[in-house]
Amino acid sequence: MAQVLDRQSVAANGETNGFTVVGQSTKRVDALEKVTGRALYAADVSPPGMLWGVFLRSPHPHALIKKIDTSKAEQLPGVLAVITQESLATDQALVVEEEMHATRRVQTLFAQDKVHYEGEKVAAIAATTKELAEEAADLIEVEYEPLQGSGHVLDSIQESLPVINEGTELLDAPADNPWGVTKLNNVAGEHHSVEGDVAAGFAESDRVYTHTFYIPRAHQTYIEPQVTVADVDVGGKVTVWTSTQGPFGVRSNLANSLRLPTNKINVHGMTIGGGFGAKFGGIVDTYAVLLAQKARRPVKMVYSRHEEFVDGRPAPGAHITIKTGVKNDGTIVARQAWALWDTGVGQGGGYATMRTKGVYNVEHFKFDAFDVNTCKPAPGAYRAPGAPQATFAGETQLNIIAEDLGIDPVDIRLKNMREGDQIAFKETLQAVADAAGWADRTSGPNEGWGVAVGEWTNGAGPGTAVVSVHDDGSVHVFSGLMDITGTDTAMAQIAAEVLTVPYDDVTTVRGDTDSAPFATGSGGSVVTFSMGNAVKRAAEDAKQRLLELAAEHLEAPLELLELRGGAVVVKEKPDESVSIAQLAQFALRERGGPVMGKGTFASQPSATTTAAQIGKVEVDPETGKVWIRELYNSLDAGKAINPMASEGQMEGGLVQGFAWGLMEAMHYDRDGHNLNPGLLDYRLPTTADFPDIASVIVEEPTKNGPYGVKGIGEPPIAPGPAALASAVADATGKWIMELPLVPERVYRATHDS
Amino acid sequence: MKRQITLDINDQPYELTVENRTRLLDAVRYAAGLTGTKEGCSTGDCGACTVLMDGAPITSCLTLAVAAEGKKLTTIEGIGADGTLHPVQESFMELGGLQCGICTPGMILSSVALLEDNPQPTADEARWTLAGNLCRCTGYDKIIKAVLQAAEVQETAAS
Repeated sequence: MAQVLDRQSVAANGETNGFTVVGQSTKRVDALEKVTGRALYAADVSPPGMLWGVFLRSPHPHALIKKIDTSKAEQLPGVLAVITQESLATDQALVVEEEMHATRRVQTLFAQDKVHYEGEKVAAIAATTKELAEEAADLIEVEYEPLQGSGHVLDSIQESLPVINEGTELLDAPADNPWGVTKLNNVAGEHHSVEGDVAAGFAESDRVYTHTFYIPRAHQTYIEPQVTVADVDVGGKVTVWTSTQGPFGVRSNLANSLRLPTNKINVHGMTIGGGFGAKFGGIVDTYAVLLAQKARRPVKMVYSRHEEFVDGRPAPGAHITIKTGVKNDGTIVARQAWALWDTGVGQGGGYATMRTKGVYNVEHFKFDAFDVNTCKPAPGAYRAPGAPQATFAGETQLNIIAEDLGIDPVDIRLKNMREGDQIAFKETLQAVADAAGWADRTSGPNEGWGVAVGEWTNGAGPGTAVVSVHDDGSVHVFSGLMDITGTDTAMAQIAAEVLTVPYDDVTTVRGDTDSAPFATGSGGSVVTFSMGNAVKRAAEDAKQRLLELAAEHLEAPLELLELRGGAVVVKEKPDESVSIAQLAQFALRERGGPVMGKGTFASQPSATTTAAQIGKVEVDPETGKVWIRELYNSLDAGKAINPMASEGQMEGGLVQGFAWGLMEAMHYDRDGHNLNPGLLDYRLPTTADFPDIASVIVEEPTKNGPYGVKGIGEPPIAPGPAALASAVADATGKWIMELPLVPERVYRATHDS
Repeated sequence: MKRQITLDINDQPYELTVENRTRLLDAVRYAAGLTGTKEGCSTGDCGACTVLMDGAPITSCLTLAVAAEGKKLTTIEGIGADGTLHPVQESFMELGGLQCGICTPGMILSSVALLEDNPQPTADEARWTLAGNLCRCTGYDKIIKAVLQAAEVQETAAS
């Protein structure tokens, strides 16, 4: 049975459901080094003799390259390496592989005969200073012959548009497609699914609604740009210090791209300044290594913010038409979606169209989705990849239907939500409705409320952790896990819980890929679920060893022993006990060496969680400016190992979702030129744009997560755009189906009559 | 053209060789080796490079190093440097006002300056004052709560 977590009572009682450390909002293990500026990020690494590397990029979104002449750049004193696709050895890296959940790309390292997007890499230069490297880049002569490009999926699919990726063939469009075409041009991938019979479902519905939604590309906009420092020793061993969510994935990508064995590559995952799905390697690391190989010196490459916007791996935009049939009582009967995903020169994302189904019983469901090439960089993962886009369409339309039927938006959801083992959709929605006072909500002039829910099921990934008990009783947790969100803190809490030691006695240590056993990358909300299991098993392994040592030390039968309060005691004989420090010393000096436990997790399924969000807005009728006045959100965490950290995920994701609805969009012209490649014009939310946030944690444990944990990093981004658009509609009476809801768009929508 | 300058950073003199065009950010990070100051955008939009100049927060990416001569500079390494953390640092740790930490040095410096200027800010005043420091992880709620708690702690300590 799902429980609503009472944070104040946890704080007051100091324990939850029999746990002592799990469930506490401890400070992050890395809090001190971060508030004092001592945490080391990849850009803070500067090995002796280090060079700076920069890129030369295409100014055109689509053009033929007629000539590249690097001779003047190579002759500039202080320039130690210039590389282009042509200069690469054929047995070296000709392609770069970038792989992350939901997307995969294999593309040539540099453009050679043709550029496919503005910002595509044409050359890379390493020099003794960054200024010299930039000067050298200016000296490279490239002759282009511009071609017509495409900045929009609705243009790209037309037969009259040029093919962007060579070899792409025309595809037959679905017979019932809403785009008015028979053939689809520039399709990079397709995804289809059918459950039931939608035609029959629409026929038996009382009402059928069709709407089209457009959500633009958004950039993950981690505040730390992509960065790698690379060094290559005389034996060819590669060392990189990089900002990544997955050091082992970076190692694999480098091994594949550079044709190097794994043991010739060591990756240090430095403290990461945000990733949100976009930092799995390939964007700079391969190039930094190639320059270091050629220059025989360490090379640092740091993306500028401009480079982030023209050659990052942002979330794909999506053009989604959705048709839903319902009974007059609000029961959803059938839903069908057609989607074009703006995947730039890459692919991946379209499958997320399945999320238009939502958390509801939908007997008849079908979608046809296409990844469509445009003259833009390939897409990457962004927190719950594809979910905000699909949820915007599905959840906004559900609110339109509720309004049309005169049913409360919360009630129509409760009516249709799936129920089942280990899921708590209804309880989670009810929790946020209660927190917001939804049933008794009031609105002043120009104010409105919106609600939406999103869903996600965390993945699982393999990993091993090692837990050591030292001779003073302190505990070390060692793994290759990359912490972004506070997972090291959760690991320390889990180890402390199992070994019954104080949280402050546990230290978590992240190894580089040479020293640490494999750990899954930190994406897909896998970490606390997967590595939490590995750490729990490692701590339990160490605990078993302590109990066996104690059996010898106390000369008592194993089954009468228990570990509590940092000591092994004989049940019913509390006088007979031995501390784990004593046991660790005993082991070290007399019994077979240090106390160390190992835990491994491969893969087990989790259960679906849901994030439910409610926003109240006020719209300025004079300007169209939308002010978010109140925000409420709930999430089923399964079990919150650290409620404060869980709220951090909920609130961070919520603001990213609402901001995608409110202000964020990558703008391109018809050919694909990026029109807002900087933080002045790509507006990120600030403290002044958002109000206080009320967060409610619901706990419906999953069987396979440690202590019932569900992965929660991703779902909170999904509902925001739909909740916001619905609140604006409630305030203005206008449903706006294209994002973001910047003042101009809201003004036009509310003044066009 | 290179020149020698002396910068007063965290009450210590730093004799540095810089170019006329060298940004204060690069002088602090690379010439002085104080890497707690971060670079996020290079255009003065994100606030990761915030340092205090004569107590006021500035974006060091838009300031020339030579323009900082004769000024009193404070970087994150100068906050809580006497071994006692600043109440802002304490409350950020306690209330979860940080995640990835890349914005944290700038955010803390701006918060310290805010409380110097306005020891008892309202939530709205804090929100409008800190709007120059972008954070992508937290959603800001816990940062604002941390700043307000630090103000309370300072008030209690002063009375």
